[in-house]
This record gives sequence, structure tokens and C-alpha cells, in this order.
Amino acid sequence: MFKCTINGHEVEVPEGASVIEAFKLLKEDIAHYCWHPGLSIAGVCRLCMVQIDDGPRLHIACNTLVKDGMKITNQTEVVKEAVRWGMDFHLINHPLDCPICDQAGECGLQEQYMKYGQYDSSMAEKKVKKRKVVDLGERVVLDSERCILCSRCVRFTDEVTKTNELGIFNRGDHSEIGTFEDQPLDNKYSLNTVDICPVGALTSKDFRFQQRVWYLKDTDSICTGCSTGCSIKVYHNKEGLFRVKPVFNEKVNGHWMCDEGRDLYKHVNAPVRLKQILKSVGNEWFPLGLERALDHLNEAFSKAENISVLITAQHTVEEYKALKNWAQQLQDKTINFVYWKNNPESFDSFDGLLIRGDKNPNTKGLLEAGFEFADASVLDSSDLVLAPMPENPAVYPKYMEKLEQLSKLQTQLCLLSVSNITQHETINFADGTLAIPMKTAFEKAGHFINHQGLTQKIHKGRVIVKAALGLDELLQAIKIGKWIQPQLLKSRKTNESSKVSGELW
Amino acid sequence: MVTVKKVQRRNLQTQSYIPSLLKGLGFTFSKMIKNLFNQDKMPTLNYPEEKYDYSPRFKGNHVLTVKKDGALRCTACMLCATNCPADCINIVASEHTDPAVEKFPIHYEIDVLRCVYCGFCEEACPVDAIRMGPEWQTAGVNGSVFNYDIKELAHRPGLKGGAVSRVDDLERHKAGI
Amino acid sequence: MSESQLLTEHYHKDTYKSLKGYQADGGYEVLKKAFKMEPQAIIDEVKASGLRGRGGAGFPTGVKWGFLPRNDETRYLLCNADEGEPGTFKDRMMMERAPHQLIEGMIISAFAINSPKSYIYIRGEYDQCIETVTAAIKEAYDAGLLGENILGSGFKHDMDVYYGAGAYICGDETGMISSLEGLKGQPKLKPPFPAVQGYLKKPTIVNNVETLAAVIPIIDKGAEAYKAIGTEKSSGTKLFSVSGCVEKAGNFEVPLGYPLMDLIELAGGLRPGRKLKAVIPGGSSAPVLTAEECLTAKMDYEDLSAKGSMLGSGAVMVIDDSQNMVDLLGVIMHFYHHESCGQCTPCREGTGWLSKMVHSILEGKGRIADLDLILKVANQMKGKTICALSDAAALPALSFVTKFRDEFEDYIKRGHQYAAEALHV
Repeated sequence: MFKCTINGHEVEVPEGASVIEAFKLLKEDIAHYCWHPGLSIAGVCRLCMVQIDDGPRLHIACNTLVKDGMKITNQTEVVKEAVRWGMDFHLINHPLDCPICDQAGECGLQEQYMKYGQYDSSMAEKKVKKRKVVDLGERVVLDSERCILCSRCVRFTDEVTKTNELGIFNRGDHSEIGTFEDQPLDNKYSLNTVDICPVGALTSKDFRFQQRVWYLKDTDSICTGCSTGCSIKVYHNKEGLFRVKPVFNEKVNGHWMCDEGRDLYKHVNAPVRLKQILKSVGNEWFPLGLERALDHLNEAFSKAENISVLITAQHTVEEYKALKNWAQQLQDKTINFVYWKNNPESFDSFDGLLIRGDKNPNTKGLLEAGFEFADASVLDSSDLVLAPMPENPAVYPKYMEKLEQLSKLQTQLCLLSVSNITQHETINFADGTLAIPMKTAFEKAGHFINHQGLTQKIHKGRVIVKAALGLDELLQAIKIGKWIQPQLLKSRKTNESSKVSGELW
Repeated sequence: MVTVKKVQRRNLQTQSYIPSLLKGLGFTFSKMIKNLFNQDKMPTLNYPEEKYDYSPRFKGNHVLTVKKDGALRCTACMLCATNCPADCINIVASEHTDPAVEKFPIHYEIDVLRCVYCGFCEEACPVDAIRMGPEWQTAGVNGSVFNYDIKELAHRPGLKGGAVSRVDDLERHKAGI
Repeated sequence: MSESQLLTEHYHKDTYKSLKGYQADGGYEVLKKAFKMEPQAIIDEVKASGLRGRGGAGFPTGVKWGFLPRNDETRYLLCNADEGEPGTFKDRMMMERAPHQLIEGMIISAFAINSPKSYIYIRGEYDQCIETVTAAIKEAYDAGLLGENILGSGFKHDMDVYYGAGAYICGDETGMISSLEGLKGQPKLKPPFPAVQGYLKKPTIVNNVETLAAVIPIIDKGAEAYKAIGTEKSSGTKLFSVSGCVEKAGNFEVPLGYPLMDLIELAGGLRPGRKLKAVIPGGSSAPVLTAEECLTAKMDYEDLSAKGSMLGSGAVMVIDDSQNMVDLLGVIMHFYHHESCGQCTPCREGTGWLSKMVHSILEGKGRIADLDLILKVANQMKGKTICALSDAAALPALSFVTKFRDEFEDYIKRGHQYAAEALHV
């Protein structure tokens, strides 16, 4: 450990740490664009200027290693002047696009300009014009004029995905980010370049012009896309969920997440959701009030002798616990649990970075809950099947096939579904089948255990469908027989994930 | 100490109201006759047959300005909606096929019943896309007419083909901004 | 004169180009002497001679060689023949007239630092040099001067020519290494310095053509004799490329510390009836000297830096009173704007900004306030970037505007008139 003094405050840093890391450790202000903790050092924005041991020459903090007893400051007039001008150099060719730029509101240039800017323009000459609205690939749009050439995205494709799609072309102030001919930016992590872009040069096609960022609120959560369990922030407002961004988590995902995971918010928004309890009678769905539905449920469950639960690893630890307790209390009945895997053949695959074949957030949690799983064949002989469906049925095609099969056998089903099940016109559900709207992971609190056994907490965000129930809430209702207001289960205290909220850009 | 003041009794002059009444009526009738013969000098208007033209700086009904080619000037930056204290502006943005335009509103609605005519939208607009014009009549028969859409805001007949914005992208481009 | 011609003594002979002619004038004799010495002794000798890099930065060569880590890693020797500094043409002459001199110097240097492989990075525009050097290397291979077991010493060395694609920035040593590695020619962050981690992440020494050639007389005559030439702190001789408003422009080898005015006389003096206005003493990136400063200027590292300029690559550009300083600065600023690699923000944006400002003055649209802005911008570009290109652009801007402010102000005031004149020409 080295001791150094930053702006008069002493701080201990591990050997080999750079000065900018020491600043971050101390939470001291320092301007920077090109430095990113997850990427190599480029040293090109020249904003993180510091003065060391009162020497006359300014150093960049990102490429200077801390030495024992170093005295570092960025509060002297020389440094401040250099940073002010550094900001001005960044801005002179930057277009006045803020009104139509999606980054506005969370833009590194805007934020740092407010902190360190010169405030009046001295550039009277014409700006350099570059390409705008360049289609880089399936998910990303480039605006060259807004780019400040920090090279973060280039380094990302070079170092993290190792796909090298992006490069800086041309020279001097005509330099531009671009892709090589016929080689679009289409790797599975391409949207991370949008996250790390400190300005609005790279924007996501998906989120483009959907919302101004200041209308959005964020909730910490865990990506439900696979068993990696990346830490994320979900952005939402009263119109629904709009995007998902990764949050730095040293133990799980580092700074990144995959593009697939970012699409997960789509099945949560109102248009595709099941919004009320429905009952199938003669191939038609009829809405049912909550009280009536509960009566119906209790009747069905008390009549049935042989009950099966078709369970996936998409629910929280708390819900499995509730399920287990519920089953224990119904000891006079046979209750079988059938564990449904989506893709057994590629279940254990891993792409080396983040994406895993196990498309469930809580496989470990389900396995550790202590269920005894029965073979899938017991489903066919069951009187009643409780099916808490996977959130996104698109990634579970075989699950739907199984339900179709069961409905052909005229088995009574109790579906707990996120998506609007009534749109499956090919399935003729048995009379009396109930479809109950289910809460998504973004609408409930709880815990997921990821592939490495790390328990991570999800927070309750915005409720999109008011009538939606969690699995635990439903079971509580069946057990008690009359509806009581669902309560948030007490969350477990052990949250092992070390979450350090990084800067978004 | 208490001071007792003696109230003066009413006398004949104060008790007889007739002279005052006649005085007042006389004034009224003299004005009526005067106005009857000099109608053009009368300060009031025969609303709604006659309407008063306010100053062009009057902050009345909203106008969405247009570009020279007649398309909306608005870039859907939502700064007006953000700045609106009454929360009465609703915009849905979309991507324009012309990359030079990039972003434009496919839906722009002002709920004038909520609007407090503060003019903050006009001040917030970076491209002179929304103005508050001299028109002030907001009468209507049912609720929906109070939600002004793009057609009403930019192309209503009173605007005679639309108000052209002062901010021109092409000229800005030429100036190198 | 002749005792100061350590390198260029035989340059007038056409045969000097070929191996035969070079050997006839004592070529490759010093190499034989060097092979009898210990490598460390050669480094010490070079250190003792006080030889400083002739490419522009003037870093002591022996010290640079001493930075190599003491381990068995492969080392590379790179010869920087990407002579891009405007006004410089000495390396070109050296490679065209005496390619074997360079090769001999390189073999000695490679032997001293124990490098099995070297590259000569020649500027792409120098067709003639590429041709002569490639031919000379082939000759040297055929004569056993390159390859396995050179002259029976047991030392193995390979040499290759690589040519640039016309980027000034590849004259920077790390920019050159990037280019050689097949990357975009952009300087790399330092530290690590090339001597520790350079070409292919191996220790690398980059030296200028003239520096490598100068190793020959040092080993030949000894450090003491070399040090005796020149001034106390700037030892040896240097080639100066004198150009501009002189009668007989060309390369001149003189001892360091040579008076500038005498050097101009060597180049035939000014044209008749002209008065000296200014001199750029070390390539376009060196701050300009006024006529007054020129009178006492001596061409060595110390005297020029005391005058606020630098020796640089030794390109002396003479400016007489027929020239317009605004015009000249416009050309220089356009050059740096065009050549900035675009990596560091202050340089990428600053060079463009400076160029635009100077050109708006040239077009008659300038404002007096622009001059102060030029100074401010240039000051903020100084010492803020990875390589020295930003400084190279800032220094001439600063010196031109401060030293010739009257001329700039006059131009701005009568801008339209000047601009119109310029258009007529």
C-alpha cells in the first residue's frame, strides 16, 4: 500500500494504482472522458491533468502511477485553467445538438461543462462537419459530429469483445469513428459502446427518441436473462419500462451486459401483458373478479387429489420458499414438482464473457430450495396443474408445447402468466382453466442466486399491471381461502453482491 | 374615557332621494343618446360580432411554427414539456426519414384547459418552434376541442398557411454552427 | 573546413554510393575496429562523446542506449529516416549519397546494443532513398556485412527497409513504431518508453540517420577527438539544411556552435538588395528568431534554447523582407492541422482552430482579438499531449505572433487589401 496526498487529503492506495484511481477512491472530483475502469488507458482526452509534488509540468492522472508519499493536486489555477481549455477544445467542434440528442441529461460533456467549462465561447470559426445518423449495425447509430474521439468504444471492441469492428479513421480534426466496409457492429455486446460513450455519438436504436432521460426513474435490479445475473438499472416512468443498463458489479458482470439482456424489459410493458384474471369456458376467455377467482381456485384445489406444479427457475428464492411451505401444509394431497428446463442441450454453455445457456436467473435458488423433483410424465396423470409460467415465453418454446399437450388431455390448469396467454389461439384450454396475471421480476422484491452461488437482491420498481400477483401472494390466497392484502416479504439481509454504482457514461 | 357623539338627524334634503335619482338617470340617458348618435366613438365592442385585435406580443393561443417547406419546426426535444408548470404538453417523438432532420414530433398535443398561459414553453424552445400568438378565444362545445393537436397548433386557418420560424437549419449550417 | 566534415567529406564522389567506392574511402574499417571492442565500451564511448540525437529532440544518444533493460530480450534498432520536418533534407542527402555510411553506423550501433534486427523507416516520398538504401543493403548482404557472422565476429544482424505512407507523425518514435507494427501511425502513451517496451513490446532504440552515422567518427577517432569539435556542451558536427531566401540553398556540415550569420554566408548569403527579417533555425516547429537575435545566434543546443528557440532537426529557413509573416504562419499552421493524428484533444482541435484563425486573418476577416486568442490557444496546447506535435504547432504560432505582432496587426487592419493582392497573385 502506498500513501499519497490528494488535494490535502491523505489516502492509501494499492501499489500499481494510477493517480486517477486514487482520486476515485477518495471520491475527489476529476475531469475525464477517455479513462474507463474497464478498459485500457488511452490518455487522449487530456482532461485529468494533475500537478505532482508542485512540479511545473502537468501530468495526466490516468497514466501516472502513484508513488509513496506523492503529493497530488488538481486545485491549482494552472490545472484548472488547463481543464477549462481542455473542455473548450472538446467543445469547439461539437454540434449544438442537445435538443435532439438522446444523451442530453446524462451527457458527460454537459455535466463536465457545468463543472469545469469556460462558459463563453471564443470560437468564431466554422465547425468541422461530419457524418450524422450513421447506421453502424443492428442496434447502434453513430453521430460523428458529436463524437469527442475518446476511443472508449474502439477499445471496447478491441479489448472486451475482441471483435474489432470499430476504428478511428482519418486524421486530425477530421478523425471519425467508423466500421470497416461490410462489417457492421453486430456483436452480442454492442450496446455497451452506447453506455460508455460519454457523449451522444453512439445511441441505441431501441431507445432512440423514446424518452428524454430526465423523465425516467431507475431501480436497481438483476437481469433475468440468464444465470449470470448481471447487476442492472431499469429505467421507467409512468408509461412503462424503457431501457436496461448495466451497473458495475465486480463479482458478476464487471461493467458490461449483453444486448439480449437489454431487450428483457419489452415483455414487461403493458401492451403485451395479461391484465386481469381470465377463465376459460368453451374456448373463450371471460374476465373474473378477484373474489370469484379465489373461490374458484380454492374449490379446484380442494377437489384435486393429484396436483402438479410445473416450475421453472425464473422465480425468486422467497417464492420457492412459499411454494415449499404451501406444499407442506397440504399434506393430505399428492403434490409433484416438475422442474422444467428450457434448452437442456445448450444449458451449460458459456460464451466466455457473460452469456450463459441457462436462461434462468435463479437456477441455483430453485435447486437449493429443497424440492424433490418428479419426472415430467406425472403431469399427464394430474388433476390440476399449477403453472407459474416463465416471464418471457419466447425463450421457453417447449413449455408452451407442454401446456398445449396438457390442455389436449383436458387437464385443469392454473396459469400464472406475464404475457397475454389468450393470444395463443392454437391452444384450446380445458374449461375452468384460470389465467392469472403474474408479476415480473421488475415488479417484485426478492432474491436470485446466480450460477456462482451469489445471492443478489432485486428491488420493486414500477408496477405495470396492478392486478398482477407474485407466486407467493397467490399461494397465500389459496391457503387462506380469502383474500388478504399481499405484503412484501421480508427481504433477506445477506446481500453479498458488492455493488459500486459507477458513473453511467 | 368614552366620547359620546350626537348623531345628526336626517333633514329634508337628505331624506328626499328624488333629485339624486333624476340626476343619475339624466347622466345615463344623456350617455345613451350620445352613444346612439356616435356609435363609432363608443369604447366597448359588440362581441362576438366584433372582436378586438390584441398586440402581436399578447400571450394567447399557442402556435407551432413551420419551416420554409411547411414542415413543423419542432424537433421534439421536449424542453417545453419539461418546462411546463401545468404539465399540459404531450409530445411523441419519432425518427425522420431525412437524416438532416433526424427527430420530429409525430404527436404534439396541448391541453389548453390545463394551460396557464405562462409562456414558459416559448422561452424554453431552442428553435423558435412554439410561440404564443395574439389569438385568445378558446371557446368550444365539448372536451376534445380543448386538446390542440398539430393541425390546430400549426395549420389552423387563422395562421394563413403557418408562421415561419426564425431559426433556419440550412442557414445555421452555412454559418458553421 | 575539411576537419569539420566528419560525415560529408566524400559526398561529392559519385562512387561513394556503391560498396566498392565506400570501401575505397575507408568504409567499413571502423566496423572492424568496433567488433574488436566490447559492446559496453562502444556505449561508453558514445556516452563520453556527448553525441545528442540529431533528429530534433536532441536527447543524448549514449544515455538513451543506457536505458535498455539488462536482460536477454530481443532488442530492435530502428533508424528514423522519416524526415518530415518542413525544411529538413539532410537525411535524404545522406541516404542518397552514402547509404553504406548509414548501414555501417547501424551495424556498429546494433552491435553495441546487441540487436539482431534493425529497420530503416524511410519516408514514403523518398523514392530515390528507398532505392539506394535497398540496393546498398543487398550489396552489404552479398559482401557478408549483414546476416550471419558478420566479418567473422560471430555477430548476427539483419536489416530491412520499411517505408511510410506520408504521415509526419510517423517521425515521432512511438508513432513510427505503431506504423511499423502495422497499426495506424499514432504515437503511444509514455511510459513505457520504447527503450523498455517498443516495437512488438520489445526494447527498441530509435535513432535518426545522422545520429547513427555519427557513431562512425566517434568510434574511429575516439570520444575525446569528437568532443573537441563543437562547443563544450554540444559536441561534434551537424548537417544544416539551409533553405529559403538565400542564394545557394543546401546542406552544410559545420561544427556545432557555428554562428548563424556565417552559416547564411556559407549558403551564399541573402539575395541582393534584401534585408534579413527572420530565421527559423530548426525546422518549422522551432520558434522563429528575429533578425536582431540572428546576429548573435550560434548554432548549438544551448545558445538557441537560451534565445527561446531550438536546434531541432537543423533546418535553417531564412526569411527576408520580401516575405509576409502572416502568410508563412498560415502555411505552417495548415501543415500541422493536416498532420495532427487526431488522438489528443488539445492537438486535434487546437491545430485546426489555430489554422482557421490564421487563415481568417489571411482572408481579411481577422480581428485584433484573434491575436490574443491565438496566443491563449497555443499556450494551452503546449505540453498537454502525448507527443510533441502539439508543441510543434504551438511554438511557431506563439513566436510569430509575439515577435511580429505589428505585422499581424497591420495585416488585420489592411486585411482586405492584402487578401485582394494575394488573390491577384
